[in-house]
Amino acid sequence: MTRISAMLLVAVMASALYLVHTQYESRRLFTELDRAVAQARQLDTEHQRLQVEKRAQATPLRVERLARDRLHMRSATPAITQYVTDDGSPVVSAAAAGGRP
Amino acid sequence: MSSRSVNYTSSPLLASKTPVWRSKFIVAAVALGFVGLAARAAYVQVVGNEFFQRQGEVRFARTLELPANRGRILDRNGLILASSVPAASIWAIPEDVENDKPEVKAKLKELARLLEMPLPALNAKLADEDKTFVWIKRQLDWDVGQKIAALNIKGIYQRKEYKRQYPEGEAAAHVVGFTDVEDHGQEGMELAFDKDLAGKPGSRRVIKDRLGRVVEGVGAEVPPVDGKDMQLSIDSKVQFFAYQKLRDTVAAHKAKAGSVVVLDAHTGEVLALANYPSYDPGNRRNLTGEQLRNRALTDVFEPGSTMKPITIGMALELGRVRHDTVIDTTPGRFAIGGFNISDTHNYGVLTVDGVIQKSSNVGALKVAQRMSPQEMWNVHTALGYGQKPQIAFPGAASGRLRPWKNWKPVEQATMSYGYGLSASLFQMARSYTVFSNDGMVIPATMLKASGSPVGTPVFSPKTASQVRHMLWLAAGPGGTGQKAQTVGYSIGGKSGTARKQVGKSYAAGKYRAWFTGMAPIDKPRIIVAVMIDEPSAGSYYGGTVAGPVFGEVVQQTLRMMGVAPDMAVKPQIVANAVEEPL
Repeated sequence: MTRISAMLLVAVMASALYLVHTQYESRRLFTELDRAVAQARQLDTEHQRLQVEKRAQATPLRVERLARDRLHMRSATPAITQYVTDDGSPVVSAAAAGGRP
Repeated sequence: MSSRSVNYTSSPLLASKTPVWRSKFIVAAVALGFVGLAARAAYVQVVGNEFFQRQGEVRFARTLELPANRGRILDRNGLILASSVPAASIWAIPEDVENDKPEVKAKLKELARLLEMPLPALNAKLADEDKTFVWIKRQLDWDVGQKIAALNIKGIYQRKEYKRQYPEGEAAAHVVGFTDVEDHGQEGMELAFDKDLAGKPGSRRVIKDRLGRVVEGVGAEVPPVDGKDMQLSIDSKVQFFAYQKLRDTVAAHKAKAGSVVVLDAHTGEVLALANYPSYDPGNRRNLTGEQLRNRALTDVFEPGSTMKPITIGMALELGRVRHDTVIDTTPGRFAIGGFNISDTHNYGVLTVDGVIQKSSNVGALKVAQRMSPQEMWNVHTALGYGQKPQIAFPGAASGRLRPWKNWKPVEQATMSYGYGLSASLFQMARSYTVFSNDGMVIPATMLKASGSPVGTPVFSPKTASQVRHMLWLAAGPGGTGQKAQTVGYSIGGKSGTARKQVGKSYAAGKYRAWFTGMAPIDKPRIIVAVMIDEPSAGSYYGGTVAGPVFGEVVQQTLRMMGVAPDMAVKPQIVANAVEEPL
């Protein structure tokens, strides 16, 4: 009888200590998770911010200015464009070239 | 050993010298103490339980708000038109700022530099020591905030907020709009779709330790719901190009303002909607109402000559005229109800085609006289005149179209060439979908359309095609819109010019010029409407002022859409300005 009681006492003590450990571990993991979530969020906003910045660098205004000034490009016009169709037919049909809609 | 036995209880040695009541008193006192404790325990555990639970929680549990992101506004190709980025807002507890210490003074000077704020202004904000909270500056760039945090001035704090960034700047300002400092939409799409864009912040309960670290979550977390991204029908390249051309033209003609609307002829999607003067939505200091107004939607005016194709369309549809019916406009004047309606020239005998090509007022009214007011009103209404546009945009004007029962003969006559009713540029552009879409008028939309729109048939495909041919003639040699010509693409369109109405009469020397048309004319892909307000450097005719903007916008837009040219490429139109009636 006494032996069983002693064993149970040891078991209870072990379980109690394990509980304390688990609680500690769970809090530690929780803080870690919390930190990771916060970091994810921060990276997400950073990503968005950088996307906007990238976009700001590629606005039509800037692209056009760079193309014109630095790269000396000019806009394509139909006069200097070769048009290709799937079946090889001329792009400008005779009727349209004649001008009747 | 013999001894007298003595009873324990009656032993004289053990006889208490103190009275019995004292021990009883102690026992009673201790018992009372326990009763008190039991009562208190019962009170704490049962009666006042809630209060104590709450008090305990207040000391270690905190509710954290989980902020939601406001949705982005994207163009039709997914490019960002508006997006939220983190921003730092600086606040202070003036009392805690030790601005008499020299090292703090130096830091404040640095702070003022970072804030781009004069030092006296900063000091003035910190002067009121009675206040415990003062905003110094809100919504600074995030990296500026980091630098300020690095200064580490006592009493200066910052809070993380979000601010909107508009990469397209002034080109798309009127479409996109802007938000206020509290992240609520104030103008444009930001206002129209504020509910969808705004997210719903979430929350969660946590337990914090003595050092303020979160150690445990309590209960269920309410996750934040981010705002929805809105994808507009706007193409930011078309938008930018249209804005640029408009701005240049307004400057070149010393005009007051201008607007451009570009619609997809098949889907009714708004590809571009630009106004000048505009503003930078990121920097709204010194903003005037002139800059803010989305003229294309809010300003109404008499559509003038752009109504003539609609009048002719009605008559063709009802079978009152054919495209080659002869109309005699001699002598270029017509008296009706005490008014004289005239053309700039005596065009003599014209066909119906010629009425549009030469833009003859007399011709248009003679065609209109073959119809009843009700017939005209029905078509006007079906095309959206006098109706509030079915478009999610704050402040879109509905224009004016009087009920047909009150029309006098002279009004019916003036309405045939676009006077006596009013509409916004947007409404005019949209009404032209009836010609581009084989007689079906389609609703316009600011959002990217997924399916094909449901149109309302107003004209037959044959009528639409005949009117398109007339529009093509009007933009061709001998027409009023030659300057709208492009290289490679066939266009059709109608110019308009009107004296501006000031009060009840028409002002002298103040004009409004516009051009509405479509391209390529046999299978239209886009509808473009241009309006220039008060051009005052030389010409003021719609064909010569607004026409070139139309031409360039069409040229660029069709190229960007990858539409192959439908005309042999050679400069074939020699532009001779043809005057047009007012």
